[in-house]
Amino acid sequence: MPRQISGQPAWQASLLAIACGLVSCAVVVGIWEMAGRDSANPVTQVLPPPSQFLPVLFESDFKVGLGSQSASIYQSVMVTLIRVSLGMAIAFVGSIACGLLISLSKWSELFILPLLGLMAPIAPIAWVPLALVVFGVSNLTAIFIVFMGVFFTLTIATVAEIKRIPAPLLMTAENLGGGSFNRWRWVIIPAVLPGVFTLLRLNFIAAWMAVLAAEMTGLRDGLGTVVMTGRNLFNSDLILLGICIIGITGFAVDRLLLLIQRKFFWWQV
Amino acid sequence: MATGDHSQTSGATPPIIACQALTKDFSRGRQTAPILADVNLAVDPGGFVTILGQSGGGKSTLLKLLGGFIPPTSGQVLFHGLPLPGITPKIGMVFQENTLYPWLTVEQNIGFGFKVRGKQPAQYRQQVKHFLEHVGLFSARQLYPHQLSGGMKQRVSIARSIAVQPDVLLLDEPFSALDIQLRRRLQGFLSAIWQDMATTMVLVTHNVEEAILLGQRLIVVGDRPGRIIETVDLSDPRFRDRYDARFLALQRHLEGVIEADAYMQDSRLPSHSAEMRSTIPNPAFNPSPKT
Repeated sequence: MPRQISGQPAWQASLLAIACGLVSCAVVVGIWEMAGRDSANPVTQVLPPPSQFLPVLFESDFKVGLGSQSASIYQSVMVTLIRVSLGMAIAFVGSIACGLLISLSKWSELFILPLLGLMAPIAPIAWVPLALVVFGVSNLTAIFIVFMGVFFTLTIATVAEIKRIPAPLLMTAENLGGGSFNRWRWVIIPAVLPGVFTLLRLNFIAAWMAVLAAEMTGLRDGLGTVVMTGRNLFNSDLILLGICIIGITGFAVDRLLLLIQRKFFWWQV
Repeated sequence: MATGDHSQTSGATPPIIACQALTKDFSRGRQTAPILADVNLAVDPGGFVTILGQSGGGKSTLLKLLGGFIPPTSGQVLFHGLPLPGITPKIGMVFQENTLYPWLTVEQNIGFGFKVRGKQPAQYRQQVKHFLEHVGLFSARQLYPHQLSGGMKQRVSIARSIAVQPDVLLLDEPFSALDIQLRRRLQGFLSAIWQDMATTMVLVTHNVEEAILLGQRLIVVGDRPGRIIETVDLSDPRFRDRYDARFLALQRHLEGVIEADAYMQDSRLPSHSAEMRSTIPNPAFNPSPKT
């Protein structure tokens, strides 16, 4: 359900937001280009402007890397995206299931919640060495790290959301003749979905950073590897290209998640 | 004015729902506050009982006890002559607050009682359509609760409760958040439903006019602790006309009863209450020749 901002239609408001965003991007790029016009400037060597690093993409036929290790940019983006989405999807479903199970009894809450509270603040990057030992250099490592980055927070959130459900909503379902399984299925799960999904979206940045860090430190493909290849080759153009793609892809995913939230999880309990 | 036993019913049929020596205490920390004290009540099948009292005076607690939503401290609630074990779909409840499911449309909300019992949509589509038309919301069936006005929300809540055909429908101040015009329209709506469906209704309100207009029998619940202080028979059709002299006289009398009770509570002189009440004339029981 797209919400209307008072006075103007929703599409006008979003058009304005897009236009303003584009203008500020253009201003930043313009200043950057102006500052980077002098190629002798040492700053330009480290921070080449877009007109300098974007052509790299076309010159190298959209490929990054050396010889047999090279991969197309498209492939790098997809690999990273698949890792993040799979990790987040598993964490989302898993944390709702775990949150529901924990909420079944007061005792499981008392015993399990402190453990989750201890696990949640661990930076996902900290799991990288462990994951490499267990899963090796594979997609599983990246998915595991994303999962660890969001699962505990989301589980705690699910338990909190279940507690927040107004009692009359549950009493009404019971009053209408719903058994406990159907009450879980038709009231509690839909009631917690939007809150947990919002938190998933907010935690996407953490998951995104985690998978990039994993790609930079251990894995051989993905967007993080593009930046690392640039570092290894002393190629600032490649580093900035990687950074730019990371930024744009991350932003696109965030918008996509927002779209999903508005389309499928728009209600407030 | 009889204030002792209010459990007698008007007809020969056994009461559909009754309570005997019902008491409810709420404890906070070490303190225990009596909310209801020794309430005896019996409701005839197909009757419409209104419970009138001040806000926060234990009326809602009484309703929740009648619905099995909370257990009594002592005494018991009898449903069809048997002790009420807890929440049952045979006793429906319309809450004061909005309890519509925000992720469901009007149509889905009305059908929720069937869905939550595990029925397939094809099995109840016709019934839902019938109730949508009955409450005049067929054209709004695809809307979500946040797109509805307060009055529409309450109509959906009522339709959802009656769709599963309870024997008794309990209503906890369903119209208290609405403005006066809408409130009057919905009172007419509820009255029509009661006549069509022959469902027994128990409505709690702090609005004197509403209590007289809708009820076949009116019960006044006093404050702290809640107890029945007066019962009025409203089967006379003149009580359906809010401008009838008898209606207005009763309204004034009941406002006086409630006010006197509140005064007594404030001055903490409970022993005087019976004496004070007896000074207030009751036109329903002592009709003067003029009215």
